[in-house]
Formats: sequence, C-alpha cells, structure tokens
Amino acid sequence: MEIELIERIVLESIEISNYTLDDDKKIIISHDAKLFGKDGQLDSMNLVALLIQVEETLQDQGVEISLTDEHAVSVARSPFKDVPSLVNYIDLLIKTMQ
Amino acid sequence: MTQKRQILITGTTKGLGDKLARHFLDEGDIVFGCARSPTDLTHDNYHHFCLDVTDAKGIKEVFFRIRQDFGRLDALINNVGIASMNAFALTPLETARKIMEVNYFGTFSCSQRAIGLLRKSKAPRIINLSTVAVPLNLEGEAAYAASKSAVETLTRIMAKELGGFGITCNAVGPSPIATDLIKGVGEEKIQKLIQAQAIKRMATPQDVINVVEFFLRPESGMITGQTIYLGGIS
Repeated sequence: MEIELIERIVLESIEISNYTLDDDKKIIISHDAKLFGKDGQLDSMNLVALLIQVEETLQDQGVEISLTDEHAVSVARSPFKDVPSLVNYIDLLIKTMQ
Repeated sequence: MTQKRQILITGTTKGLGDKLARHFLDEGDIVFGCARSPTDLTHDNYHHFCLDVTDAKGIKEVFFRIRQDFGRLDALINNVGIASMNAFALTPLETARKIMEVNYFGTFSCSQRAIGLLRKSKAPRIINLSTVAVPLNLEGEAAYAASKSAVETLTRIMAKELGGFGITCNAVGPSPIATDLIKGVGEEKIQKLIQAQAIKRMATPQDVINVVEFFLRPESGMITGQTIYLGGIS
C-alpha cells in the first residue's frame, strides 16, 4: 500500500473521529498533527477510538493489522505521537506482514 | 419509528443462547448468532455465523461482516460457556485451560472486537454471563467458577475503560436453570443449591432475559460494572 494512501486513511479517520468529539477536543487536521503524548490532542480513550477507526478503514481496503499491541504502547518513541509517526508505523506493519 | 436493535449473541444453538435469540427475534430485533455448529433457527432477522470463540481470526471475520452489512452493533451478549463439574484435585489442567479459553478469552476477544461497532450505537451494551457458583464458591466447580470470576472482573474493568464511549458492561449470574450446562450436576446438589437461595425455585430462561432486557434499556445507561445474581444469592 502506498504511503500516500496510508496518510489519506489516517487523515480521513481523524475527520470521522472528530464527529464524535466535543468542539474543544476536535483534532486539527494536518499532515503533521500531534496526536498523543506530549503536546498531543488526544486522550487515551480518543486515541483508542481513532485507532479503531483507522483499523476499520484499512480492513475495508483488505488490510488486517492491529495497531494496539503491547509493543506499540510500550516503545519509547510512540508510533501514536503524530500523523507521520502513525503513518510510518502502519507502513512498517504492512511491510512486516508481507 | 424506533430503530431495530442489532444484537450479537454467542452460543445460540442451544440452551440460554437459543432462548435469548428467539426472544429478541420475537421483539423484532436483528440477531446475529454464533456457535461452532450450524443452527436450525431460521428467521428473516437472524444471521448465523459458525464460529469457535477461541478462534481470533474467525471473530475478526464475524465483526467485519457485521460492519460491512449492518454498520453497527447495539449489544454484545457473551453467552457462550462450557463447564466441567469435577473436584479440583481431579480436574485435568487441559480441561481447566479449555474452560478458561472459551469462557474468559472468548468473552475478552469478542468484547475487544465489538468496541468499534458498539460505538456507533446510541445505547451500546456488553452483557456477560456469569454464575452463582462465583459468590457461592461452589465445590466441584473450581475451573468453571474461576473462569466466570475472571469474566466478572473483566466486566468491572471494561465498564470503567469503555464508559467514555457510553458502553455499559454488566453481567448476569443465573442460579441453576435446566440447560445442558448443568446436566452433569446431580439432582441432590441442585436441590441443595436451590435451598440456599432466597427464592427457592429453579430459574428459567425468562428470569435471565428479564435482567438482560433491564441492562439493554436505554434508561439503564447509568448501570454499569454490575453483576446481578438470580434467586437472592449475593
């Protein structure tokens, strides 16, 4: 899967997740939006919600991956820090699967 | 017009699961049922999946198909369960492991997979099946009661973690009901159990359905992390 498509999926998922967030909690959609952790816009519940949305959208594209394994949650450089790190993490998982 | 509820029940080919499925179909709901074997239940609103709840890949596929075709889930009822009545000292480890696999890990996996679909519901519910064997610490049911004890703890923690999504998580703990699950238990033991209850009679599937319907009501949005036992056991 092309990296551009992965990024589009992530940004679309953020947009969908925003529907359920209060106005003051909506994520500003951008290519380098901060997501989780220092300066992140999401709390842990909303991160889970976003990851579920991304997983479902990927599933619709025929890609079955799990974004929330223990490794991802515990690594020092969190893959959920911002949009680029999440996109790269998804890309890595897809490549590992192949 | 009220939207039809979309309910997934595990273990629908017999016993309580079958009764629950038929009840919701009578109520006009859409029911997704699953079991290892096919079903003889046919209804326009019933959709059956052959699934072993210990098969993580199969679970993913079931939820994928529900999402593709129906878009949301209003309730997950983790009903499927196995039991093996035996003295602790005589219970093979493999049996204890299998009971834990189905009763606890099956509930765990299905609940985890259901979050995305439940979030799309206005009154999302997870309802787990426990047993009075937990509070009674019943002899001869160590493996079964321990697996359900794990389910109860899971219920309470899920209630906290999923509360932010509006998903309530509760459990119902039936006292003895005449189903396959207790067919291996002697009549004398059943009678002794019933005598320990405040309400001294066998429970019926309708008693369980009543509690399940209570949890499902939109007005029950503040009821979460609870286990309700039948018959006055606490």
